[in-house]
Amino acid sequence: MKQRNVGFRRFGVGFILSWSLIPIYWVINTSFQTDAQISDTPSHLYPPTPGWANYKALLIGNGELAGMVRRSTINIFIECISATAITVVLASLAAYAFARMEFKGRKIFLFLVVMTMAFPTYTTLIPMYRIMAAVHLVNTYLGIILCYVSGFLPLATWILFSYMQSLPQAIEEAGSVDGATRMQVFRLIVLPLIMPALASTAVITFLFAWAQFIFPLVLASDQSTQPLTVIVAAIQGRHVVPYSLLSTAGVIALSVPAVIALFTNRFIVSGLINGSVK
Amino acid sequence: MKKKKLDLLPYALISPLIIFIICLALTPAVYTTIAAFFKVQPLNPPTRFSGLDNFRDIIHNSAVISSLGNTFLYILIGVTLSTVLGIYIAVVMQRSFKGRSILIAILILPWALPGVVEGILWTGIWDANTGVLNSVLKSLHLITHYQVFLGQNRLLTILAIEIVQVWQITPLSAILILAVLQNIPDDLYEAATIDGSNARKSFRHITLPLIRPGIAIAVVQAIIATLNVFDQPYILNGAASTANSLAMETYAVSFQNLNFGQGYALSLLITIFTLLISVVVAKFIYKKVEY
Repeated sequence: MKQRNVGFRRFGVGFILSWSLIPIYWVINTSFQTDAQISDTPSHLYPPTPGWANYKALLIGNGELAGMVRRSTINIFIECISATAITVVLASLAAYAFARMEFKGRKIFLFLVVMTMAFPTYTTLIPMYRIMAAVHLVNTYLGIILCYVSGFLPLATWILFSYMQSLPQAIEEAGSVDGATRMQVFRLIVLPLIMPALASTAVITFLFAWAQFIFPLVLASDQSTQPLTVIVAAIQGRHVVPYSLLSTAGVIALSVPAVIALFTNRFIVSGLINGSVK
Repeated sequence: MKKKKLDLLPYALISPLIIFIICLALTPAVYTTIAAFFKVQPLNPPTRFSGLDNFRDIIHNSAVISSLGNTFLYILIGVTLSTVLGIYIAVVMQRSFKGRSILIAILILPWALPGVVEGILWTGIWDANTGVLNSVLKSLHLITHYQVFLGQNRLLTILAIEIVQVWQITPLSAILILAVLQNIPDDLYEAATIDGSNARKSFRHITLPLIRPGIAIAVVQAIIATLNVFDQPYILNGAASTANSLAMETYAVSFQNLNFGQGYALSLLITIFTLLISVVVAKFIYKKVEY
């Protein structure tokens, strides 16, 4: 019995490792090969002559591709960081009100938040474009950031709300007895207490924003605002771009979320569980 | 509440959230619902009420109908595979062991990556000329010449594309199920073992019934994800219509044919499908469990 469990787990661990890592290893592997090497049969299990040529071509070259990749990398950072910051600030304020204050309509507003979480992307895609076009925000950072914030704010509020509800109120009450205003209590007592949940919310929002494709595809009409994901797809759509460069662009686009996921997985897992198990 | 005066602070705190929801979620949703019954073509004005015309046009659009069938296959394959794998992974991780936290970090990696990038990654695996799968199958003498996985056979194309999405959504399923699994008290298993139960029986009679709430949530999120599949087929199969999903068709109808009215009608149908399926599945699988 004991023996069988160990075998079961070993196989399972091996499965999880290969399932998650082989595709990622493979794209990194090809990003260090030339096109001739990628076309060889059988495929090279590791780069025969590893070098940074593909990365140089995409990151520091003067070519058009390098320009696109560099610009879109800056764009994706601007859009993701701004959207994350705005989302976390607004969500924590709203979550504080929902978790700690009594007010008329609280239940209805909370229901509204949960309901919007259930909307599929495509409910809002076309009207989102029409609204942004009407207020001249198509192809601007602001338009994309507002779109992201509206998409992620309900989930972020929900994660922070569930976390605040699980905290005891005693410490905060002590604070208000001492004469602190509710916003002082929020700043000095609540915020430090909800740090883990804030981290979860920030990481998850950032990763979601980084992964966006169809919204920026529609809302960003040229390279001045297109994020890396849209540029990677555009490079792929050209067919003349070799797979060596394409896989390199892929590695560049996955490096940031991969590193974040590896180092903050604890916050991601707790946030995901908090956000959906209710 | 000591004072009877209306307390404005909570409203001030939630107002940004509510403004965002009203302007960029509710208004678009209502707009979609109403505009689905109008003829909206920027290149062919005027916009006017057209009753059920958009829905009729959709039903007679063969591309939409075939994408509906494709999407059904995406959902079927995706939900089944991600749920079975999710349960398996959760059971493997049920008890703590050395290195489990590192394994969880590696497990969620595919979840964290953009769908577009996953399309690029898996191109390197499925590709007919340079893909590693062909190379491996040939080395093992399972095939004599390289196979075309994407773009020829409809079913094979859908399967190959959906495996990529399963790769992305399985970690979340596993984590949601694992969260419920870890609440099952150990003494239940101990008692069962004393009563002569083996691992397989314990799994069937203890684990499976008690993780139903976790499975329900995992299934619902998988349905929503697969119903909306876009990035992976867009990258792996392009505009080739063999394996187009409903979401891709919505995009094509609205932003390539610029027939927004039909686009709204399709979006409305997808939304209603999503909400209906989620509610039914949740009701069907989700039962409160008591230990």
